[in-house]
Amino acid sequence: MIRIENLVKTYGKVVALDDVSFDVNKGEILGFLGPNGAGKSTAMNIITGYLAPTSGTVLVDGVDIADKTMEIRRMIGYLPELPPLYGDMTVNEYLNFICDLKSVSAKARKSMLDDITYIVKIGDVRKRLVKNLSKGYRQRVGFAQALVGDPPILILDEPTVGLDPRQVLEFRRIISTLGRNHTIILSTHILQEVTAVCSDVVIINNGKVARQGAISEFTSAGGSEKRMVVTFDGRKPDCEELLKSIPEISSFNFSRIDRNAAVFRIVTSGSTDAARSIFRAAVEKNIPILEMKSVEKSLEEEFVNIISKDTSEGGED
Amino acid sequence: MEAVFKRELQSYFKSPVAYFVIAFFGALTGLYFWNINLYNGSIEFTMTLASLTTFLIFFIPVITMKLFADDKKNGTEVLLRTAPVPTWKIVLGKYLASVVVFGCMCLETMICPIIMTFFVNDSGVFPLAMTVGGYAGFFMLGLAYLAVGTFASSVTDSQPIAAVLGVIILIAITFVQTIGETIKGWLGRVLIWISLSSRYDDFASGIFSVSSVFFYLTFTLLVLFFTSVNIERKRWN
Repeated sequence: MIRIENLVKTYGKVVALDDVSFDVNKGEILGFLGPNGAGKSTAMNIITGYLAPTSGTVLVDGVDIADKTMEIRRMIGYLPELPPLYGDMTVNEYLNFICDLKSVSAKARKSMLDDITYIVKIGDVRKRLVKNLSKGYRQRVGFAQALVGDPPILILDEPTVGLDPRQVLEFRRIISTLGRNHTIILSTHILQEVTAVCSDVVIINNGKVARQGAISEFTSAGGSEKRMVVTFDGRKPDCEELLKSIPEISSFNFSRIDRNAAVFRIVTSGSTDAARSIFRAAVEKNIPILEMKSVEKSLEEEFVNIISKDTSEGGED
Repeated sequence: MEAVFKRELQSYFKSPVAYFVIAFFGALTGLYFWNINLYNGSIEFTMTLASLTTFLIFFIPVITMKLFADDKKNGTEVLLRTAPVPTWKIVLGKYLASVVVFGCMCLETMICPIIMTFFVNDSGVFPLAMTVGGYAGFFMLGLAYLAVGTFASSVTDSQPIAAVLGVIILIAITFVQTIGETIKGWLGRVLIWISLSSRYDDFASGIFSVSSVFFYLTFTLLVLFFTSVNIERKRWN
């Protein structure tokens, strides 16, 4: 439904987006993930037409947004990072203004606004001034604004930032519900959010797409590969020798020294349980194991790996 | 366009700025009306209007300062620039809202000539055509000034800066006439020709010139066009 091709955006000498390409299929909730300043907002601003790319194209349903700007804007509902609200209007006035702006007919308006206010739960504040609303309600009104005109595509830029945990859960529920009949791009730097609501992920870092794929590819539910973190009470070279002697271990790397104990990250393969072999080998060499735990391969790990590629230390746990 | 116009107009009358500007301008009009027409007994209200044009330089940027600067500050600019509405319509919608406020300012001053008609007796005839012409010029000049103010507001996200910038540009435009009158020659004539205020003098002396109307409208549309270009340009930065 949305195809982003070789998007480049430079601000003077600063390269905000560097050859970014990805697809979003119809009905997909795409998690757009990246650390702060990675270029998420820039990319979203380009997709919505707020900014023009330095080069590259954005196609919606095969149509370049530069060609049919107004038609495509009508198809996109956008909730920017900062909800674009007018404090001097009541919620009703504001939403009616948005209806005017998106030329929603007077006939369709009432039922549309009733539906939207029901979905985002702002029915009880419709007569209040926007400036007097709490952060959570403001965010919802911003969300309502994106839903006006029933656009098939929703672009949500960090929609849950600044909400309390209960509101975050509620927002995720709303997004999941909307995902049934909308194509959604959800930008966030909160990983749980992506695993909770998204079907696909694009990880962006330093303006480049670092990885993309279905969410299941990022979590190792089916694979034979397992990961462990083991802490030995011994010298690093001894421990390395020990680990090398175990055939089930396909790779390992030294993580850190923690109170005279060496911490290793281990990747094992094969059907047999490597934990037993590690235990036996450690007994043989008289190196006590202080801690041994298996680690689920997670999106978080992947994410941290990607964004800290330059530095040698992972920094998990 | 109607949406932006409606919202902007509502916002004008929800804040004290519009009321303050209209009231203060009314008071000034009263003062000049009393001095020129009542105290000194001039029958020409256009003289009062001519004096008021100087104040437009300061009043109009205050009206227009919020038009775009406010949106930029509040983050609502994103809303307008991603809405299925072309930029020129947004500019026009906002501009027209400021025209309504200025229209209110013009309307309130009309009390003065109406009062004058009661006082004019056998000693003279109220110069109706001249007054209407004067108002036409006053309004046209205002339209051009409002366009300049709108442009100034599109340059910055700070309302005070937008207002100051508007005043500076308008003063510069006014000086074009003074400079033109000083240097004389063909360049002087060109400067007088392009000056907004020199054309107002025609209206004030009762000459209704179609070319001046055309000039004001062209100037206004051109500045609004530049405003639109200036906003559109930010997409590429």
